[in-house]
Amino acid sequence: MRFSTKTITTCAVLAALALALSYLESFFPPLLPLPGVKLGLANIVTVYALYALGASSALAILVVRCLLGSLFAGNASALLFSLLGGLAAMLVMIALHALPRLSVYGVSVGGAAAHNCGQVAAAMLTLGSAAPLAYLPFLLLVSVFTGALTGFVAALLFRAMRHAQAK
Amino acid sequence: MSTKPSLPELRPNRYDALVVLVVLALAAALAVRPFLAARAPQSGALTVVVSADGQELDRLPLAQFGTHTYTNNGYTLTVTAADGAVSVTESDCPGQDCVHSGAVSHAGQSIVCLPARIVVELVGVADGYDLVAG
Repeated sequence: MRFSTKTITTCAVLAALALALSYLESFFPPLLPLPGVKLGLANIVTVYALYALGASSALAILVVRCLLGSLFAGNASALLFSLLGGLAAMLVMIALHALPRLSVYGVSVGGAAAHNCGQVAAAMLTLGSAAPLAYLPFLLLVSVFTGALTGFVAALLFRAMRHAQAK
Repeated sequence: MSTKPSLPELRPNRYDALVVLVVLALAAALAVRPFLAARAPQSGALTVVVSADGQELDRLPLAQFGTHTYTNNGYTLTVTAADGAVSVTESDCPGQDCVHSGAVSHAGQSIVCLPARIVVELVGVADGYDLVAG
């Protein structure tokens, strides 16, 4: 695959935006006393990139975000968590967005659920124990709400873009 | 991987509801075992199993557990057993998730501390002694 200069620049700006959003989110108090419960604001960028730029650009942005994010956090084990979560979400969203009729909400909820599955898998790998699996039902339940919320923000974004392009 | 850029549907519809249903069904299916574990009648003594990085550190009866501290991966946890339940009472990790998740009192339940990579599990008599029954 070949990236044009315009695509590379757009990807770089979006990767920076995704990094800034996850950094911003790290200052929020935890929503619930459970590891892994996050809003997933950076997912808005992934959803946007998937529709506006296509799957390969969205994937490139995601990998850059995960690599730089754990580099900034100075935490190598965070890389496994963000990569497994991010890649699981990416694959599910690529599959779902290829389906006709499904809206940005369904894609976003599917991505949020897959993200939690990936993170629980990473927790099981680092701990060498199946214990984290007990958290997954609850995390999946929460992902329906966080996924719908990021889907809502993405829908707002697309409406605004359409509006701007129509002028 | 060469999906063309496309314009998304912006209103939620019944196909999205289907995605939500699938996620909820998966959550329900995964919740069956922990749910049954929490409701199962207590039979006999429970055993506390503490492991770090997948290696078992301690295996003690709940009644005799008392208070122990464990250090792993640069973090120290205090695990306390009281009133038939075990909980992480103190931790110097940044998230404090293991402290906030409270006490567990049934076989099959566990507390996870990700930064310290420590798992505290409660094991029932049945699964604890099966192997030495013969």
